[in-house]
Amino acid sequence: DALLPAPQNISILSTNMKHFLTWSPVIIQRETVRYSVEFQGEYERDYANESWIPICECSFITATVCNITEDISATVAYKLRVRADVGTRRSEWGTLKGFFNRITTSLTPPVMKVTADGYHLLVELEDMGPAFQFCVLHWKKGQESRMQQKVVKEVDSVVHLDTMEAGTDYCVKAQTYVEVINRSSDFSQTQCVRTQGGRSVWLV
Amino acid sequence: SGELSCSLPNPRNVHFESVNMKNVLRWSAPEGTGGEVLYKVKYLVYGVGKWIRKPECRNINRTWCDLSSETSDYEEQYYASVKAFLNGMCSDWIETTRFNPLTDTKIDPPMVSVSSTERSISITLTAPEKWRSPEGESVSLLQVYPGLQYNVSVLNKKTKKRWFFSVSNNTLIVPRLEPGTAYCVSAEIYVTTPLLHSGFSKEYCIATLKDK
Amino acid sequence: SVTEIRSGFTAIKANIQARDPVRTLSILSYPHSLHKVQSSGRCCIAHNLFNFYVDKVFKHCKTEDSYINRKISSIANSFLSMKRKLGQCHEENKCMCGQESTEKFKQILANYEGLNVTSAAIKSLGELDILLDWMEKSR
Repeated sequence: DALLPAPQNISILSTNMKHFLTWSPVIIQRETVRYSVEFQGEYERDYANESWIPICECSFITATVCNITEDISATVAYKLRVRADVGTRRSEWGTLKGFFNRITTSLTPPVMKVTADGYHLLVELEDMGPAFQFCVLHWKKGQESRMQQKVVKEVDSVVHLDTMEAGTDYCVKAQTYVEVINRSSDFSQTQCVRTQGGRSVWLV
Repeated sequence: SGELSCSLPNPRNVHFESVNMKNVLRWSAPEGTGGEVLYKVKYLVYGVGKWIRKPECRNINRTWCDLSSETSDYEEQYYASVKAFLNGMCSDWIETTRFNPLTDTKIDPPMVSVSSTERSISITLTAPEKWRSPEGESVSLLQVYPGLQYNVSVLNKKTKKRWFFSVSNNTLIVPRLEPGTAYCVSAEIYVTTPLLHSGFSKEYCIATLKDK
Repeated sequence: SVTEIRSGFTAIKANIQARDPVRTLSILSYPHSLHKVQSSGRCCIAHNLFNFYVDKVFKHCKTEDSYINRKISSIANSFLSMKRKLGQCHEENKCMCGQESTEKFKQILANYEGLNVTSAAIKSLGELDILLDWMEKSR
């Protein structure tokens, strides 16, 4: 039996602290190729004889992607590897070039919806998982120098930001903050609303 | 009494049930038995050398035993154990898992009191007290969990819109409301680490006064 | 972060503590609770304990359960990154070790050496919430 080629083009897709390992399929005519993934954290490298840990959800899978979020759970450098199996034939490990540290995840601005209920400025934010907090800035239009900030941690609801004066435009923008990697996303688009004595009007 | 044979089936589901650190040991009767079984209880501070019998829970036929007093130091962890007796037979000692009052207790929602003016409501929140013995000193859960915060929900009964506030101090004033309108308030306690949520209290409704 | 370590530990607490049959001995709490350590010695004890867990404990906690092993790896790697942060304090001399904290850490090592290595490691891992409760209280 010819040696099975190791998976190639192994790479990481990491957005908003969700991390996926992907690779190119190993093509063997009329055969089903299955893949297995293992990871090695800095602890395993430096203190546990460079041992590797299998991810059972990605053992003998036919897909060429594996969600490794659950296992990349510390801000250290991880190594990842994949190998292929067809019947009794097994490839060498294909290893991700270099390391992956979750500190490099890309952070996108939060999805945000600003409303007013009477004289009250409200914001709804998309739930992005327990690692995320939101820094919400709000100000009277034209008074950008007097921005107020609110840190929001629980987002499964409509959050009250401030009380407004009648007939005034209020603007809001938000960014995410991930404490465990100490990084923030860019700010979202600014959204403005105006109160007219208890009725609110959208102003973008 | 003559030699006991320990072939009685064991008590089942031996566990601590804890609310605001009122720590009650509970269990179910051995399979196939009922109210005629008697029990003994002992407990142990984890890491300390000996099991201690609970005299008030000796030869009892109920299936619970209040160990709040014995487990009131929440900087320690505990085990408890139960043994069953029936017609000259006994069961094995059956233990709980390790009990950590700080992380394993459930917290009641805060007490909520609301008052209103024409255009505002003011909300006062009171965190529950930690369980204490009759002569014990009153300790708020705020002192036990310094990172304790409140989530407050305010529902406008007219518009059916609900807003949420997250506050760490225990008073909240919501100004610029509509006169003569009913608002319903409920609140929950949450602690980020260890992670504890009380769940929301029942709703307390109040109407803003009518415009004079 | 401490929150991540806490959630990793909560996921395996019952399993790990069930593997420790010795109720009457504690690595961290004998003879005195960590909470009795004076505030001046807390950074030193925390620094030493992080090194203790990384250097001595985690490597002897391998189990037959791959889910448990993955959670232990997650905790160990989180310890490593926190150990680095505490190490910086130590290097900047903000983490002085007085006599009391030195004695306390010596006692912890003696408790650890008093058991065979696997039992000691599993018991220490099962006592992680004692360390976390103490750290969060002192924050």
